Amino acid sequence: MSRGDVVSLLQGAMVTIALSVTGILFGLVLGLSLALCRWARVPGVSQLVAAYVSVVRATPLVTLSLLIFFAIPSFGIEIDAVPAAILALTLNTAAFNCEIWRAGLIDFPATQLEATRAFGMSPFLAFRRIIFPQVWKTCLPGLVNEMTLLVKSSPAIAVVGVVDITRAAARIGAQTYEPLPPFLLATALYFIVILVFVRVQRTLEARISEEPGAA
Amino acid sequence: MSAANLRPFCRLRVAYATICAAAILSLGLALCGSSSAATLEEIKKRGYMVVTTEDDYRPFEFVQDGKPTGFDNELLELLRKEMPFEIKQEIIPWTGLLAGVSTGKYDVAVTAALITKERAQSLDFTMPIADATHYFVKRKGDTRIKDIADLNGKVLGIQAGSGLLQRLPELETMLAKTGGKIAKVVEYTSYPEAYQDLALKRTDFVINTVINLQALVNEKPEVFELGLPVTGKSYPAWAVKKGNTELLAAMNGFLGEQRKNGTMSKLQQKWFGKTFADLPESWTPEF
Repeated sequence: MSRGDVVSLLQGAMVTIALSVTGILFGLVLGLSLALCRWARVPGVSQLVAAYVSVVRATPLVTLSLLIFFAIPSFGIEIDAVPAAILALTLNTAAFNCEIWRAGLIDFPATQLEATRAFGMSPFLAFRRIIFPQVWKTCLPGLVNEMTLLVKSSPAIAVVGVVDITRAAARIGAQTYEPLPPFLLATALYFIVILVFVRVQRTLEARISEEPGAA
Repeated sequence: MSAANLRPFCRLRVAYATICAAAILSLGLALCGSSSAATLEEIKKRGYMVVTTEDDYRPFEFVQDGKPTGFDNELLELLRKEMPFEIKQEIIPWTGLLAGVSTGKYDVAVTAALITKERAQSLDFTMPIADATHYFVKRKGDTRIKDIADLNGKVLGIQAGSGLLQRLPELETMLAKTGGKIAKVVEYTSYPEAYQDLALKRTDFVINTVINLQALVNEKPEVFELGLPVTGKSYPAWAVKKGNTELLAAMNGFLGEQRKNGTMSKLQQKWFGKTFADLPESWTPEF
């Protein structure tokens, strides 16, 4: 493996991180919005969200990426590889995040909800002050778990021509006919990325447990 | 829970299933609609053409130190100079490449796509850029395989979606003459994986074009050894969407010029280690 190969792998790592983080951020927000729609039983929307989650959970990320990249242009919308990849990752992770957020919301004590009403809080205020600050803590482990899964399923987006860690490693293996060094380095890179996510989760959890009144 | 209590859930599930199926179906139907690859005129008007190349198809197209190189990429450099419009290049894995051309996402597949009957239904091919008669490759020093008949009971590795899969019956007929049979066919996403598994003894032989295999054997003479031809004539070429005749003519014009001025043979010598002087002007596949 030449120095150029190592550089390509590191560039692949930047792509994996950038696309995953973008997908995660969009996916977190979209997932929460979808979960709220279902939790609040918004008529019509709730059923649509349930259908969306069922479809996306049943669709492999590779299939979803190919569908977005090659199908959307037939509706007359041009989409480049990177936006297509971000869209695929976001749509995929949002479905799973929706269920994680929903689990947290369903589990939220009804007594507290009644209390917010008794205090005359608007639903928006109740969500901002009472519900969200508690629910995200409950959901944190599940969400971080989903984030690590997203990072590891991200090689699927390589089918649309995005060069992530795995694709960079495959290219080097194809060029040198020696797959071991690039894939070992690729594994190490994934390990580091995932380690960062888990570290952040631990730090956040440690903060939570230090807060007054934490269980 | 009694059956009566479950009923609403069942109804809900049926409703979801219907919605999902309807959504997928409508998307599928929409796909059947027209998606148009740009004609030469449209390309000239918008000022650019989009070509796609593969990223790990040595020696035709591959990526070295992050830069595309190989036979087709050198031709592409020449094409850029010849054409009066800009050429955008998308480097993607094999999986979506031909689909991308037949759906109009890319205008030209600048790759060594084997001309096959099946592909000719959705794509138009340029004149051949090389000879792609298929050979088998085995591990160096594997004395069990000396002749075609020795492939009996051996495990074959091959690229999924590769043109050769349709021509496998040819080899099977050859083998059947001596009462032989391939033990198992293992399909890989790409050839490099197939070669790697051959080296790891998970398969006994891999079939690919003589060019690819010659390059492989030149690269790793201590690991692989070239075998014998396993098919009749076959040729690789560039491809455009079916019916895009003017663009096809422009590409053929360019390739014909490279044949005439000797550039084609020079590049063939450089990347394949041999030249193919007697390539046909066009090729109608039998398989």
